[in-house]
Amino acid sequence: MKNKNVILSNIYSVLLPVIIALFIGGIIIAAIGENPFLTYQVMIQKSLFSAKGILKTLHFAAPLILTGLAIAITFKANIFNMGVEGAAVLGAFFTGVVGFSLKGVNPVLHVTLCLLTGMLVGIIFTLIPAVLKAYFKVNEMVVTLMLNYVVAEVVKFLAQGIFKDPASGYVSTYAIAESAMFKKLFNSDLTLFFFIALLVFGILYVIFKKSKLGFEITAIGKNPEFAEAAGMNVAKKIVVIMLISGAVSGLAGAGFLMSEKYRFTLDFSGSPGLGWDGMLIALLGNHSPIGVFVASVFYAALKTGSEYIGLFTNVPKDIVGVIQGILILCLSVKFVSRNTGLMGRWTQWLGKIRSKRENAMSVDGREGEQG
Amino acid sequence: MNLVDNILYDMLYHSTPILLAVLGGLFAHKANVLNIGLEGMMLTGAFSSALVVMLTGSLWLGLVISVLLTLVLGLVFSFLSVTLKSNFIITGFGINLFAAALSAFVLKFMKLANINVSSVVDVASLKIHIPLLADIPILGSILSGHTAITYAGYILIIAAGIVLYHTKFGVYVRVVGENEEAAKSVGINANAVKYAAVLIGAALCALAGMELSVERLALFTNNMTAGRGFIAIAAIYCGRGEPLKCALYALLFGLAKSLAINLALFAGPISGLFEIVPYLTIVVVLFMVSVIQNRNNNVRGFKLE
Repeated sequence: MKNKNVILSNIYSVLLPVIIALFIGGIIIAAIGENPFLTYQVMIQKSLFSAKGILKTLHFAAPLILTGLAIAITFKANIFNMGVEGAAVLGAFFTGVVGFSLKGVNPVLHVTLCLLTGMLVGIIFTLIPAVLKAYFKVNEMVVTLMLNYVVAEVVKFLAQGIFKDPASGYVSTYAIAESAMFKKLFNSDLTLFFFIALLVFGILYVIFKKSKLGFEITAIGKNPEFAEAAGMNVAKKIVVIMLISGAVSGLAGAGFLMSEKYRFTLDFSGSPGLGWDGMLIALLGNHSPIGVFVASVFYAALKTGSEYIGLFTNVPKDIVGVIQGILILCLSVKFVSRNTGLMGRWTQWLGKIRSKRENAMSVDGREGEQG
Repeated sequence: MNLVDNILYDMLYHSTPILLAVLGGLFAHKANVLNIGLEGMMLTGAFSSALVVMLTGSLWLGLVISVLLTLVLGLVFSFLSVTLKSNFIITGFGINLFAAALSAFVLKFMKLANINVSSVVDVASLKIHIPLLADIPILGSILSGHTAITYAGYILIIAAGIVLYHTKFGVYVRVVGENEEAAKSVGINANAVKYAAVLIGAALCALAGMELSVERLALFTNNMTAGRGFIAIAAIYCGRGEPLKCALYALLFGLAKSLAINLALFAGPISGLFEIVPYLTIVVVLFMVSVIQNRNNNVRGFKLE
């Protein structure tokens, strides 16, 4: 019974923010003179109510599952690794370089090489904040945010310079060779990359739930001092956790490039970017692997659907970003916890009113008697 | 003007938004609510001031409305993080993403690529040349010819120091930050103090945004704050929340930016890479400060922050 309550309150604590965010998003849509119901209907219909739409949603969910997991694993250990975005972008860029510079390679080998490049670049990039955090106690959040800007500038410089495809009208690298592309499956957008993401999801699920490392992550997240006292080498674990996160983010960028974009452009990661989407997903999924999976499918549906709203309404597709922001704001609050949460307050408040009214009635009664 | 003059002038120019955000973030930091939302608040200030100036043509209206809107954002932040006791780091990121997305959304809806107010605002005429100071040979060209908000920013360093250390409010802010229970036990309304601290930050971020978009460039582009809010947080960390020290770090980061811009002119093909100098500087400075702060620290392992 108690277990059921916990599950229910978990569902409420996610559902409520989603409803609030969609509601406020609806108000904004109405404010620019458009129909919010039509907008949401288009979004959901195109992404969830047809086999093709669902497969497309899953296709776009693949990189989000990975960035979501990459953020979740660090957030769970109370490390604010915002470098997921940078690792994904940098990983994707160098995957692109390997993708177009090797030619005539066996496809299996080429794809493997590309994915490994992405992961390796992600690891190398994340090594900097990881070591700074673990051994020099430098705040990892600011460092990773700053490194994200560094990545953006470096990648821009390289894409405009040596790796620029002169045939392309805008800033973009050469397209990757055919042998490095993920082929579309089942006559839809879905590619093998989704199944690779599933595999990584499985591995991380085992790490989270069944392994010693998973336990250590939780322990460090709850209280690093205690973890250290209990004999864990917290510094080393922080490096390990962050490197896993970096590898997974690099893989996300690599896979997204090889299954969808095929070439690196400056708006590769989109706005606000894969890493930031990952943050929303990790929060929405409450840092648990299954939650992250469900959240990334939900968010991918919103994103996929948003591509179509321009056809039916005048609502810019950036509305998804607005909803994302509101959603993160709502998710930062624990609505459904017993004492400090909104629901708790609400019941407390109701209780107070009730007891006040009862008091008042009894006082009235007494006054009546006296009079 | 020669190169050194240019670098120093630009240092003051590029430090200003960081400085204002630092001074704004200080109060929240001292009251123990780290405001990650500085970036988003600055962007909101930049966006709303540019938008209002474009629509009405009035600088004052732009100033007032951008401050008001940013205060609303500050209220949202403090309501969530103080009243509802949210994870304020996440809330701050939410504010940043929301501000960026909303400005992009409005721009798209208005079918604009950016907001250009150069027809309304004459950037050159906004620069104030201080009569006597401008005549001093080298100093004049560096210190004079800045905008009103820039000067206000530097005056505010002193103001922030006085408010924080010599007024009742400042004492309240610090007590709430250092020991909230103690503050409550002597009857300080801790939540109200935190609200005030966040709102001061929000208002100053609006100024920072306006100086960035309207005052200096007469232009708003998407995500034009480019991490300055986070840079401010780095400065606050490095300066440990003391106004003068933090301001010095803000100046240092402004210098990095100014060096990057001025030296890139001579760098030829690799000039694009100079953009990373300010960000790398911050990583290096954070690293050095952290090493110095932990030099005499014999505590093994990790402490809860």
